[in-house]
Amino acid sequence: MNAAQLQPYLLTLVVFLPLLGAGLLLFLPREEAGQVRAWTLLAMGVDLALAAVAYLVFDPKGAEFQLEVRRAWSAEFGISYHLGVDGLSVSLVLLTGFLGPVVVLSSWKFIHDRVKEFHISLLLIQAAMMGTLVSLDLVLFYVFFEAMLIPMYLLIGVWGSERRREAAMKFFLYTLFGSLVMLVAILAVYFIGQPAGARSFDYGTIYNSLLSANRQLAACTQGVGCATLSPLALTLQAWGPLMFLAFALAFAIKVPMVPLHTWLPEAHVEAPVAGSIILAGVMLKMGTYGFWRFAIPLFPVAAYQFRPLFVALAVVGIVYGALMCLAQQDVKKLIAYSSVSHLGICMLGIFAFTAEAASGSAYQMLNHGVSSGALFCLFGFLYERRHTRRISDYGGVARVMPFFAASFLVVTFSSIAVPGTNGFVGEFLVLLGTFKASSLWLGYPVLATTTVILGASYMLWMVQRVFFGPIDRPENGGLRDLDLREGLTASAFMVLVLWMGLAPQPFLDRIAPATDRFVARAQLGTPDSAKVKDADVRVTVPPIEGAPPALPQPPVAAVALPR
Amino acid sequence: MNSPVLLGEVALGAPALAALLLVVFPWARRRRAPAAGLTIASSLVAAAAAAKLVIDRTGGAPDVRVTIPWLPAQGHTLAEVGLQLDGVSVVMLLVVTVVALCVQVFSLEYMRDETARSYGRYFAYHALFLFSMNLLVLAPNLLQLFAGWELVGVTSYLLIGFYFARPSAARAAVKAFWMTKLADMGFLFALLVLFASTGSFDWTVAASPQVATAVTALLFIAVVGKSAQFPLHVWLPDAMEGPTPVSALLHAATMVAAGVYMLVRADPLFARAPATRDLMLWVGAGTAAFAALLALVQTDIKRVLAYSTCSQLGLMVAAIGAGSAFAGFFHLGTHAFFKALLFLAAGSVIHAVHSNELGAMGGLRRRMPLTSAVFVVGALSLSGVPGFAGFASKDLVLASVEGKAGWVPWVLLMASAFLTALYMGRVLVKAFLGPPSEAAAHAHEPGFSMTGPLVLLAVPAVFAGLLGGWLARSLGADYHLHLGLTPVVASAAAVLGLGAAVFVFGGAGRRVPWAAALEYFDRGAFVDRGWESLYRQVLLRVSGWARWVDRYLVDGVINALGWGTLEVGTTVRPLQTGRTRDYVFAVMVGALVLAWLGGWR
Repeated sequence: MNAAQLQPYLLTLVVFLPLLGAGLLLFLPREEAGQVRAWTLLAMGVDLALAAVAYLVFDPKGAEFQLEVRRAWSAEFGISYHLGVDGLSVSLVLLTGFLGPVVVLSSWKFIHDRVKEFHISLLLIQAAMMGTLVSLDLVLFYVFFEAMLIPMYLLIGVWGSERRREAAMKFFLYTLFGSLVMLVAILAVYFIGQPAGARSFDYGTIYNSLLSANRQLAACTQGVGCATLSPLALTLQAWGPLMFLAFALAFAIKVPMVPLHTWLPEAHVEAPVAGSIILAGVMLKMGTYGFWRFAIPLFPVAAYQFRPLFVALAVVGIVYGALMCLAQQDVKKLIAYSSVSHLGICMLGIFAFTAEAASGSAYQMLNHGVSSGALFCLFGFLYERRHTRRISDYGGVARVMPFFAASFLVVTFSSIAVPGTNGFVGEFLVLLGTFKASSLWLGYPVLATTTVILGASYMLWMVQRVFFGPIDRPENGGLRDLDLREGLTASAFMVLVLWMGLAPQPFLDRIAPATDRFVARAQLGTPDSAKVKDADVRVTVPPIEGAPPALPQPPVAAVALPR
Repeated sequence: MNSPVLLGEVALGAPALAALLLVVFPWARRRRAPAAGLTIASSLVAAAAAAKLVIDRTGGAPDVRVTIPWLPAQGHTLAEVGLQLDGVSVVMLLVVTVVALCVQVFSLEYMRDETARSYGRYFAYHALFLFSMNLLVLAPNLLQLFAGWELVGVTSYLLIGFYFARPSAARAAVKAFWMTKLADMGFLFALLVLFASTGSFDWTVAASPQVATAVTALLFIAVVGKSAQFPLHVWLPDAMEGPTPVSALLHAATMVAAGVYMLVRADPLFARAPATRDLMLWVGAGTAAFAALLALVQTDIKRVLAYSTCSQLGLMVAAIGAGSAFAGFFHLGTHAFFKALLFLAAGSVIHAVHSNELGAMGGLRRRMPLTSAVFVVGALSLSGVPGFAGFASKDLVLASVEGKAGWVPWVLLMASAFLTALYMGRVLVKAFLGPPSEAAAHAHEPGFSMTGPLVLLAVPAVFAGLLGGWLARSLGADYHLHLGLTPVVASAAAVLGLGAAVFVFGGAGRRVPWAAALEYFDRGAFVDRGWESLYRQVLLRVSGWARWVDRYLVDGVINALGWGTLEVGTTVRPLQTGRTRDYVFAVMVGALVLAWLGGWR
């Protein structure tokens, strides 16, 4: 079997390898914590290697979805086991793969009780996150999306700090509420998207079938010919906004967008280091990814209709999140609110509907995964030593932990988007694209740019209070600097920060085709929709392998939901 | 590969390599000799490359510009990075690398009391700084210039906060970064506006007058921050918390001059925006006079020099605002040498008397003859005494504003020239003349690695003015000596200022008659207060409100919803009686209702 033959199995392996690891852990004796850790690290490491292979194999000039596999699953309901990646998801897969071993390493000494269960949870989350990113079937996507929830709930609720129960419950209820609403929308898309008999949960199929209806609807909203709307377009006209909002609600909670963000600081503060890294590093991106993959491309007309709302919320999030950071006394809470601010930039980039902004947003997703993952990871090292999150309990730490301080400073510069670090590339592209989006009020990018000064204010103020000044507490005097394991973890982050900041082109090249298609598809809902070529907003859907050839279907009109 | 590009790459690459090696190999960073050796060697290589570039240009080498794509978008290149080697950039490169080399050699001895770790860290920062500065100087477009601009800001933050255990140093570092970053938003906006309207980051792009005005005004905001012009100058005096050689290099000779350098680079853009130039003329002239006034009452020798830097940068800004980029650039060059010289000489004094206070000095001319001599050279050059470098370039600056805006800027600059001579005379009198103080009595000259750079810098501080004609040819500007109102008045102002200083400050304990008012003005530092209250009263207060809103309104609503759900649940719980007949009854009622509804339809 050569490499080419292995390719169809690659994504399956990426998703299920952590699960296999979790299965293996079940057979390990409970008291062998070291073995449990080592095997988890190995599984995560191999998963990272596989993700890297997928990333390298991915051809930026190739088809829209690559490494695809589509198998029959539940033919009568139109559900298939369909995996595939485009430029954005393969990048996020790599990010998720990278954070896997980091998470294990960062909690090496931190977790003492129920070590086995902890690591099983980590592997389950890893599998679910990978699955969410590569699923091209809505049911499969939903299953993985929900599957992230339970191990994460356990991670916060079992291994968290003092007020972990409330935090876990809040996280769970918020997210569950959103995803249940999304489930209704998924079913609705299923029923309207295709005529009875040909119904499918397949992403590509629905994506293609909604194309002409969206076109007609866009023409209608611009006052050209509403008379010729197809039944599907009529349905979309009536129900599209609701369906868009249902998807958007689920993803907006996950991002989180203001005012649905209040679960985030609590979850971060209470979660163990590993939980915070996963949450900030990958899980929040599931929200932005959802907007990018589902909410906007499926309902571009509705998305355009609600665009002012989301752009406004994104900008409010940027400024509000940053202001909240300035008022925090707790390091983890500060980093959590900075996530609200940074993801506001991602959302602004997504809703600007220009290529620069969208690629900047995609880049910012990766950046935020790296830099906020790094901030939580690094602070975790400090927390392990001092067991306090209060900024005022520190001071002068740079004196006793110089390497740690240097690493933290590098990540801080990434977080405040200093050129040369990854943060600058993403933020700059988003601002550039938003400035270029002539249909947006100029005040939005102007307000968004204040993130530069606000970010510098809260991060440097925190750094000043934690690292600089004299050591006025004896507990801080005896802190030891990072050991080898911690140092290597920190160095991995720093290498990524600088690499992505200095040579962004290879990363952006992979994102570019996905960006162009996303923007073209989003343009479908705007007054520019006539300029969009069909070829740019269609995807090729592979046939189901191993399924009997489909019977010719009698033409049946699409179900028109009552209006 | 042609040779100028290679030389440019060497100038950029050598300090980058030194910084990288020092970062990656802690072994080298934690020992004195490898850290200092690597950094100084890299600066030497960069300076040699710069010198070769300048010599080649004098021999008629053409402008060179090479770029590589950096940011792609939609299949085309959105932004490029590269090298631009022309008259302006190679001269600036030479100035920067030579001053950096002198400062680094000076630091060998000056920083000797630091621990090996700190010593290594210090030189690693210097290598990083030189790389960032060269990145800025050789930038072919505004985007790369911005990248270098921000990176020198970062190294400035690191170097001001070098003694980070001192709260005042940590505070000054953050303040400097914050103030300049606030101004840098202007730069960022300028880039965005320029790109959105022209699709380019080049300063040569043909922008419409409106776009050019907007972009240049935004760029000028950044210059006001970086080059410490009123009202964003307040960070510079505080930045003196950094080690003195750092003040010499970053906060006098090179980094703060980056703002002026950018104005020179982007001059084609500014040429399309007369409104911005007028603004620059007024801000520059105002800052020159205002800062010179404040320099007069400082008791800390470094703060005198810091205000003097603000004032001199104001001169350059005013000249460029008056339309003479060449005059501004010429003064930038001479100022870099004599101000670095003054700072290093001040460092030598501070090293000897262990204090920054002028009051602790006095009578040093006997104990430290060499330092005194070079300080006098620097002071005369700065004051603009004829025959020194400072005179030639300052004369050009003053001539460029002749007759502009009803002579008011000219008068302001002349006043600042007089004040400059006055405050430098004051320093000379207080530190070097008169009876020695207790600390000064035991002062002695430093070793060769400190005096060497002083002597080396003293040469251009005297003779750099002679290069005016050559520089003008290299830049394609016209330059001719002239005898007229301006040079005569300027010379008179310089000599009168120095003379007045001896007269006013000569006697022990003598003060300027109106010193009380000035000192109040300085201590009140109303500008500083204004910025501080923007930060504390506005920003922090608003964030406090946001916190309240978040806790009680946003989260409150959610919690209320949760509580409401719980209440509803509790209320309807009795319905779940667990008795079959209740459920059957409910089903029957439901069925009847449905049947009725159906029939009714």
